[in-house]
Amino acid sequence: MRFMMLMIPKGYEKAEAGAMPSAEMVAKMTKYNQALTKAGVLIALDGLHPASNGARVSFSGGKPRVTDGPFTEAKELLGGYWMIQVKSKQEAVEWASRCPAQDGDVIEVRQVQEMSDFPPEVQKAAGATRLGGEIP
Amino acid sequence: MRFMLIIKADTNTEAGVLPSKELVAAMDEFNEKMVKAGVLLAAEGLHPSSKGARITFHGGGKRTVTDGPFTEAKELIAGFWLIQVKSKEEAIEWASRCPDVLGPGETAQIEIRQVFEMSDFPAELQEAAGNEPAMRAQLEQGWPKAPRA
Repeated sequence: MRFMMLMIPKGYEKAEAGAMPSAEMVAKMTKYNQALTKAGVLIALDGLHPASNGARVSFSGGKPRVTDGPFTEAKELLGGYWMIQVKSKQEAVEWASRCPAQDGDVIEVRQVQEMSDFPPEVQKAAGATRLGGEIP
Repeated sequence: MRFMLIIKADTNTEAGVLPSKELVAAMDEFNEKMVKAGVLLAAEGLHPSSKGARITFHGGGKRTVTDGPFTEAKELIAGFWLIQVKSKEEAIEWASRCPDVLGPGETAQIEIRQVFEMSDFPAELQEAAGNEPAMRAQLEQGWPKAPRA
């Protein structure tokens, strides 16, 4: 099973463009990332720039409307993610709990959809372009 | 530059309502356009938060695990694309071309966020990350196809 560990850093919705973690934090995270790699569970990971240089596209009645960041009304924002391959949600939660996160940070653990989770007619409609999913 | 196009959840995705055949076909067409343009790196959907959990980090190594669902559907993520483009404007253009991602006529929102590259960090942070570039190279090979358990 694949899971996303979504890092929601405390206060990241207020972070300014160009905000950087400390070298100490990066070193700790690197160690954690190496543990995930050594255990053979890590598929991908990325960090996201603060939302101040992001945007949101809202669709209503088929018309896209673009709003530039920062998003002042946001209560929480994604700061980065890990995608892992494990045997259970329990194992995913255990890995997330081992993260050297800072006080007030939250990691949301979410299962990733596999092609085999969908009924056959949906699988057929999806063709073969889904990159990450298991293609039967 | 890499961007993450994040699809925000709504009550339907949170309830685990499967997309219609028509919507899946429309999304497939959109994905194919991105593949042909050479911009698509990954695309994933997430199960509802009711199947997930949250770990909150308190001081002194204390952690609390809360099982889903989580209430603020608008703040939750239903899925995402990872794309490689030349500018934020190009990322916005791709997001704007997306078909009604949560179903015909449904209000939807896609958040566009730039992904950090190692070169975005100052030298001392790159150093602190140690052999991260090597690990990244290895991982990026791994992105398109998930290893099987």
